[in-house]
Amino acid sequence: MMLDRDTQRRIELFLFQEAKLLDAGQFEAWLRLYEPQGIYWMPSQPGQTDPLNVASIVYEDHAILSIRVQRLLEARALVLTPMPRTTHIVGNIEALGHKDGGYTAGAAFICVEHQAEKQRIYSGRHTYHLLPEAESFRIKMKRVDLVNSDGAHAPMAIPL
Amino acid sequence: MNQLAETVTPDDIRSLVRPDHVHRRAYADAAVFALEQERIFNCLWIYVAHESQLKKPGDFVRTRLAQHEVLVTRHTDGKIYVLQNRCPHRGARLCMVDQGTSRLFSCPYHAWVFRPDGSLSTVPHRKSYPESFSVDDPQNHMQRINHVESYRGFVFATLNETPEPLVDHLGQMTEVIDNLVDRAPDGEVEIADSSFTLEYRGNWKLHLENAADVFHPSFVHSSSVMPARRAPENASILDQDQTREMLLANGFGTDEWEGVQLNGLPGGHTYMTNFYSRGVLVHEDTDPVVVRYKAALVARLGPERAASVLGMSRFNNIVYPNLIINAQHQQMRVTIPVSVDRTIVRVYCFRLKGAPDEIFHRAVRFLTTLGSPASMIFSDDVEMLERCQQGLAKDAGPWVDFSRGFGSDRHDQDGSVSGAASEMPMRVQFQTWVNHMTAVAT
Repeated sequence: MMLDRDTQRRIELFLFQEAKLLDAGQFEAWLRLYEPQGIYWMPSQPGQTDPLNVASIVYEDHAILSIRVQRLLEARALVLTPMPRTTHIVGNIEALGHKDGGYTAGAAFICVEHQAEKQRIYSGRHTYHLLPEAESFRIKMKRVDLVNSDGAHAPMAIPL
Repeated sequence: MNQLAETVTPDDIRSLVRPDHVHRRAYADAAVFALEQERIFNCLWIYVAHESQLKKPGDFVRTRLAQHEVLVTRHTDGKIYVLQNRCPHRGARLCMVDQGTSRLFSCPYHAWVFRPDGSLSTVPHRKSYPESFSVDDPQNHMQRINHVESYRGFVFATLNETPEPLVDHLGQMTEVIDNLVDRAPDGEVEIADSSFTLEYRGNWKLHLENAADVFHPSFVHSSSVMPARRAPENASILDQDQTREMLLANGFGTDEWEGVQLNGLPGGHTYMTNFYSRGVLVHEDTDPVVVRYKAALVARLGPERAASVLGMSRFNNIVYPNLIINAQHQQMRVTIPVSVDRTIVRVYCFRLKGAPDEIFHRAVRFLTTLGSPASMIFSDDVEMLERCQQGLAKDAGPWVDFSRGFGSDRHDQDGSVSGAASEMPMRVQFQTWVNHMTAVAT
């Protein structure tokens, strides 16, 4: 179902807002964009459909994400010393209506992460299932398909 | 090879390892690394694949054996072969995927075609080769690794032309492989078709030492222990609190430092008692999944034997030089040295055949929580391994201290050592390291 321009625009702005919160290190505010039962999923294989029988890089609901976010805010997290700085860029956004009254959105992303002498680039596709809430949205599911999901990885710290 | 031996002499090697200290060159000297490849990774049995990846003829996996890339294959004769992934014609790398099924391997350059045992099947335009050219000549075959052995489904290979039997190398570590397999109600395990490949900028031995180290968790992992302590119980809808319990388990204190029993074996293998002792990670009889699982296991083994299998609780069983097994959580890691300061860690889990699906889902969750690149636990470990390498690369204060618990080790007649609150496992690993590195080349 094609969306009217206003809804399409509001979804785009919502995704930009999410990226901005991550870049600003406002991880608690980022988590508030999720439904209480919302899920963040980063598969380990291209086209992965099964999060139970196939290991995921991240497959976490709000409760586990809360621990992850609190860790990001812990001064003692070694891998976060110094705190990485990121630029999350989201583009090619396409949104459609969902039969549950919400929306699905797809986007391409690039994230550049800088930490001390290291600089890393992540890229791939985001797939969202959004539910309307007041004038905005909440994330029921965000799927992050890294272009190199099944490759060799160094530790990842900041959500993509 | 002899040139290397001249660069780093046995006396050099012996001078790097004191009973309770190790010289930084063991981690940072490229010549020492090259000698390790020759004397350890080219000489010992190295895990290469699990038989569940090679069920039918033509099945293959691509992996590393020492500094070589090899294909582990199942041939039509039912046997497993380990082959150099290289066309003998012009030397091109042959197979470019990690696993699959193929009755023939064809080199895309000039179309020499090989069978899964490495033998040459056909070459195009046969008549333009001289009469002396034969497809039966082993020189025209994919080079075979001569020594391949399996232990209960775990396939090992060695480049050593006169190896000791695999079971002798494994020694008491066969018990942990037995235990993993015996935990399956159908008596078989299957490797999961998902795994992680992690890379860090540090020497391979740092990972082994970290896996045998009981002191670091309370410090290195405090950034995940603290938030897990503050988080409410059973809040997750996904994992029955498994992730939170795993994070909590790293909150080591005196009880763990003194209570986790450490063991070292001849051959450099080490293990410790398990410290994941709460919640869904232990088999509590109030858990309906566990009730079903135990019933299935008892049906096969009988109650006494099932209790004994489930009662074995050894953590981070490190088979020297590079395999780590956790039977009770169905986990496995392989440490692959790439260069003196670069290492790949492959992380796997297993399905216990005949066990409820939920048992496998927990193994998958364990794999993600501890072994994913985004793991809240392992990412902090890697950070410390890299910082160690950065420090050891500098020639300032050359000695690494492994003296903790030195003098309190208990030595048994069979050559094993035990202790607690100790860096004994690292001393055991380095004793074996010196033995191999200074052995007379055969």
